[in-house]
Amino acid sequence: MTTHDAPGGSTSSALYDAATDAFRRWRTGEDPALDDLVRIMSPVLWHVVRATGLDRETAEDVVQSTWLTLVRSADSVRDAQAITRWLCTSARREAWRVSKVGGRTRPVEDEVLDTRLPAQPSPESEVVTGDEGARLWQALSQLPERCQRLLRIVAWEPRPDYSSVADSLEMPIGSIGPTRRRCLDKLRLELGGAAS
Amino acid sequence: MTVSDEELLRAIADLCTDTDPSPADLADGVLARLAVQGLETEFELFTLVHPLDTRLGTRFDAEPETSSTVALEFAGSTYRVLVRIADTDTDNDTDTDGRRLDGWVVPALPMRVFLGPPGDAPTDVRQSAYADREGRFEFPRAVRGEVRLWLLPQGTRRDGASAPPFVTPPFLV
Repeated sequence: MTTHDAPGGSTSSALYDAATDAFRRWRTGEDPALDDLVRIMSPVLWHVVRATGLDRETAEDVVQSTWLTLVRSADSVRDAQAITRWLCTSARREAWRVSKVGGRTRPVEDEVLDTRLPAQPSPESEVVTGDEGARLWQALSQLPERCQRLLRIVAWEPRPDYSSVADSLEMPIGSIGPTRRRCLDKLRLELGGAAS
Repeated sequence: MTVSDEELLRAIADLCTDTDPSPADLADGVLARLAVQGLETEFELFTLVHPLDTRLGTRFDAEPETSSTVALEFAGSTYRVLVRIADTDTDNDTDTDGRRLDGWVVPALPMRVFLGPPGDAPTDVRQSAYADREGRFEFPRAVRGEVRLWLLPQGTRRDGASAPPFVTPPFLV
């Protein structure tokens, strides 16, 4: 396997089942199970943190800090099935805290971003291969950055803790659900346009 | 045909994996960091041997603080670590207060190196780097303030013995 990201993407329930199983084994005294949990969930946490807008170097630090926090407060995770949500929420909160302290992200209003979307292919777009990927990339790039971030969050974490999402995206908690709906609708529209 | 939310989100996740893959050594770095945590009491504490004040940039002979490059040397029972701290090249850079830290481990051995505050609070940010086969490592934008270095050998020494992890005393960047 050449990729280090989760096979099957974020919504693979098998991935979350594997994480739950590893956490349960670790908590019952099987130390190597922590390695399994780290290898399963670190790529997911990477995308959760990167969705907050942190640079790659800082994102790696945040992922490490998240695991340290887990090791020190694993007792607070009473339900093994909640481990993925616990990790993602902790990572997002830590990312938000770091970005506040270091000014690592620069929230920009959607209206501003709408007018600054790159017209030229970005380095990332050049690695997108295949018609489907290219179409999706093109459609996503037409959405406001806040939409892109929110969709990236829910792509990797289907049921995120809305409170931490609200903090990291600097938007009211009550608007996350409607925004998610609106962003998906916009994306469908863009995809339809790209297809025509 | 309408694409479901789930299909759309799965496609986005796949796209993220292609366009912004996690570092290949992400999990290894986490496990190394956790290993540091577990070995906290087993580290060999190095001593500062170079005649410099721990307040970097201020020599004992009262050289002005404008001295921008500082060298430190730490020694333990089996290794020495040389550290050089200098201003980053600030040309064409708006972030002008960066400090660069270069290090050399002698004798050379591949190592995982962490730089961060001397405490171990979960919220402490630790930067990480690798010492290559020549024993060189670098932090192009070193975290500022009171810090220390943790070094975890990644293999065995030339004599075949396993090398112990070690940590420097706190110093200021």
